[in-house]
Amino acid sequence: MDKSIKELHELLKSGQITSEDLVKESLKKSHEIEDKYNAFVTICDDATEKEVTDSLVSGIPFGVKDNYSTKDVLSTGSSNTLKNYVPFYTATVVQKLFDAGAIMVNKTALDEFGMGGTGTTCHTGPVLNPWDKTRMCAGSSAGSACAVAAGVYPFALGSDTGDSIRKPAAYCGIVGYKPTYGMLSRYGLFPFASSLDHCGVLTRSVEDAAIVCDIMKGKDECDMTSWDSSHIHLQESLTGDIKGKKLFYIKEICDLENYPNANEELKAHLENFNKTLDLLKEAGAIVEKISIDQRLLNAIASVYVVISCAEATSNMSNLTGIIFGPRSDKQDVFEMMKDHRTLGFSPLIKRRFIIGSYVLQKENQERYFRNAARVRRLIVDKMKELFKTYDALILPVSSGPAKKLDEDKDIIDKNTSVLEEHLQIGNFGGFPSITIPNGFVNDLPVGVNLTGNCYDDENVLNIAYTLESMMPYKGQIAKERE
Amino acid sequence: MNKFTKEMVDDYAEKLLIGLTDEENKMVLDEFEEIDRNIDLINEIPNISEVTPMTHTLDDFTFELRPDEAKESIPIEEALKNAGATDGREIEVPKVVN
Repeated sequence: MDKSIKELHELLKSGQITSEDLVKESLKKSHEIEDKYNAFVTICDDATEKEVTDSLVSGIPFGVKDNYSTKDVLSTGSSNTLKNYVPFYTATVVQKLFDAGAIMVNKTALDEFGMGGTGTTCHTGPVLNPWDKTRMCAGSSAGSACAVAAGVYPFALGSDTGDSIRKPAAYCGIVGYKPTYGMLSRYGLFPFASSLDHCGVLTRSVEDAAIVCDIMKGKDECDMTSWDSSHIHLQESLTGDIKGKKLFYIKEICDLENYPNANEELKAHLENFNKTLDLLKEAGAIVEKISIDQRLLNAIASVYVVISCAEATSNMSNLTGIIFGPRSDKQDVFEMMKDHRTLGFSPLIKRRFIIGSYVLQKENQERYFRNAARVRRLIVDKMKELFKTYDALILPVSSGPAKKLDEDKDIIDKNTSVLEEHLQIGNFGGFPSITIPNGFVNDLPVGVNLTGNCYDDENVLNIAYTLESMMPYKGQIAKERE
Repeated sequence: MNKFTKEMVDDYAEKLLIGLTDEENKMVLDEFEEIDRNIDLINEIPNISEVTPMTHTLDDFTFELRPDEAKESIPIEEALKNAGATDGREIEVPKVVN
């Protein structure tokens, strides 16, 4: 299970291993990882082998974040409000993988409904980082990132509303990719903030991410925001040639002088990032530093909070405990719903609902919600203007390696907020965005992110693929720090 | 503009059918203070009020209507499986209107 999809496929095809062997190994590993890192909501012990066909994922086990509906398999969103919910249908992207012959072996834990960035607010408890159990995986796709990094299987599904695939990928030393908004159908994904929600995948190589998304993508009549991507061939686009490609990075985010109180981890992380830029130049790419209005960058975190909370408040109003979810024994219908929601939601998401409700009130809409949507427009327009000249934006992920479990409680920190939150730009504009491993700081993995213009996924993945091939971190499995 | 107060937080929570502890109430106010500071900065961006708010993620998003064809739907029994109390083809709730 520490191999790539293509390697496993070749072994399966040649008869050196069987799908049954892989399922057994993956389930055994799932139990070990659950005991050590608390990564799963459900382990599908009844999973069985499938026929090996020409599809690269056939016969291979994978994981699914627990905010995807899976027919007849518990799907909780890692929330007590849905702790007994068993869907009667399967999400489109999961079904496509089933149809291709992949085997779901577990449902992975997440920050409740995807509304957190730490992996510590799952109703089953915090997910621990497989490189260092005292640290977080980041979130919300914490269980998926942990399991892929630990070698349970070569890929797991994630979802990404702010950075929920791409930040856990960095903290766990793996690849996390969310394609352009709408390339993957969101039908069956529990909605958090519909204009920002993306499906995506966590893998240990860019090629594996391309293989899985090639299978999952496509227009879906059940998701009106999905579009026809039959002309896009992600895996075929990985040529390893980026001569003449133009990339930019943002001075206000990447220059050490912006952080007068920088700790050693941040210094090492930024130094490492600068060396990565040199690699791109070696490969024939042109890399330029540009400047963006600091006021726009400073607004990113608040724009995200305002828009995501507003959309979440509306999306989650159906969580009443009446049509699904554990029912309260109160005798009054409003008391029933209040009891269900009060006991079911964690403090973090209660906070987000209230902020969302406040910014949507008629008297507050202009100052908060509409202004946030205006700044979103300005940020996206600026990026699109830059993407006319450049193929991709490259930035370091976060302010260093994984944080200690008790260090970050998802409250905006004004000192490094831009560095921590800039991946949200990818959600504002629906841009294709991928994180790949970028080495180590303090023996812990760090990541680098590439983001490009909408529909330009092939170009973005090829740049990531080329850069990955120049570094020794492809396919790495987490080794717990002594 | 009215400042967001503890009482307002409780009022919104009540409307959302959510009960809050004092600690949870304070967390809302603390985070909101930071958001408010940043929103003040947003208001300093020149001509911000003239920018059209972004509503769709993709510029070229188009609505498409599906053909109006009846399709097989999920059996009622399946749809009711997750409800805490049911009565025949319906979900049962305590009496709402006296």
